[in-house]
Amino acid sequence: APLPELSGDQDFQLFLQRNLEFTRKVRGDVAALQRMVCDTFQLCKEEELLLVRQDLDIAQVPLEQCHSRSFQVETCFNQIRAGLRVYHGSLAAVRDLLPGHAGLVETLQLDTANLSSNIQQQMEDLGLATVTYPTENPDPLPTFSSHFHHQVGGFFILANFQRFLETAYRALRHLAR
Amino acid sequence: LLLLLCPGGTLGCALVAVGSPVVTLGSAVTATCTIQRELCQGLEQGKVRISWMLDNKPVAGSQRQGPGGTEVSELTLPQFNRTQARLWCCVEWNGTKQRVAVAEIRAGYPPAKPLNLSCVLNLGDYGLTCQWEQGADSHLPTSVALKCAGSTAQAVTGCTPRGGHNHCTVPRPLLQLYREMEIWVSVTNALGTAESEHLCIDPMDVAKLDPPTLRNIQSIPFQTDCVALAWEVARGTEHMELQCELRYRAPEDPAWSLVTGIVGRAGTAQRCGFLFGTRYHFQLRCRRSSALAFWSEWSPGRNYTTHE
Repeated sequence: APLPELSGDQDFQLFLQRNLEFTRKVRGDVAALQRMVCDTFQLCKEEELLLVRQDLDIAQVPLEQCHSRSFQVETCFNQIRAGLRVYHGSLAAVRDLLPGHAGLVETLQLDTANLSSNIQQQMEDLGLATVTYPTENPDPLPTFSSHFHHQVGGFFILANFQRFLETAYRALRHLAR
Repeated sequence: LLLLLCPGGTLGCALVAVGSPVVTLGSAVTATCTIQRELCQGLEQGKVRISWMLDNKPVAGSQRQGPGGTEVSELTLPQFNRTQARLWCCVEWNGTKQRVAVAEIRAGYPPAKPLNLSCVLNLGDYGLTCQWEQGADSHLPTSVALKCAGSTAQAVTGCTPRGGHNHCTVPRPLLQLYREMEIWVSVTNALGTAESEHLCIDPMDVAKLDPPTLRNIQSIPFQTDCVALAWEVARGTEHMELQCELRYRAPEDPAWSLVTGIVGRAGTAQRCGFLFGTRYHFQLRCRRSSALAFWSEWSPGRNYTTHE
């Protein structure tokens, strides 16, 4: 059950409803990009790319605080924000991969940044401790040794991001119930 | 009227100074014209007689000697009723009146408060188009900007209307979706600044949806007075919780029958109580489930005739 003191908070519930829809929107856009990678490079099934993935340095984004037994809004939300920040940076590799769809990737980056600042704003409204990040993203952009690796890298950035968003969505929905 | 001009458009020896180049319409204007005769080629001899013209109409000033051998004429126009005029300083020369210096004066009003600000979010490009009513003309060059601020962010100019229009579109990168933003119009001229009411909205709450599409209508075989409808919500709204309304009527019905509270994402609905063998016209519209959301337009109509 959601945390008692939050479930009755109307502003918090409005925040959750809004950002559940926002997360669905972002997931829809990520799915659209996954379809484009599939159509463009015939990279559609994760299970066919597990071997190549071992050669790639794709950041894994921890989100265990959002589905742990001892669920804590503060630590979960901070992990979601940290993850959104990583993916915001990694999407640059996807934009380079799909130059014809740069607009959709840039919109996705905007939405990712907005979602993160919505969460930060809500945490501040709730008096929760938030992590403040420098505006520019120090995380190095992923680099790839070949064009094929770049394509597979793009595939996994989107696949991981989709999974990340599913977990984040479940955490928000858990709080909204 | 011979105009003695040298580079820079005025005789180097004359200077017009005005209290303010922009005044409120109907208020007083004061000006002085100072002639430094040793710098005035051709005015070395005789008395310097200064006079004034407002555009092309003579107006009277009062002349006195100024510091350092200058001649100064002071002018007061108690009620300046033109929105724009040139104030000329002239001197007598060889029996003619010479224009030797000029000042442009503009008059108007502080900007009027913009009214009835409203905004709509286009789900195609996620641009937020706002429009407002400008209010009375101030008669002065005026700059207009739509300002927006996130709850913690600084106010920025979201967009500026082009060519006197009273609308403009804030591009997506300047918007903060799914969170309240403050939006207002700021109007500035030389006499001041006026602001519209500040709207506090989540841009998504003013999203204008495209109408849904009625895909299929058919009678349910066992209860011939019931009809099943199927529809598709507009592209780009698949992630939204939508509320829809259905309206239908037979040609002879005076008014529409309205069915509310339909869940948009369901995609199908059933309705009973129809007459047999009757041709009905159906339309559907949807909106986001948020309290402030706008309805889409009604979908294109679709006809269906029930069983005999």
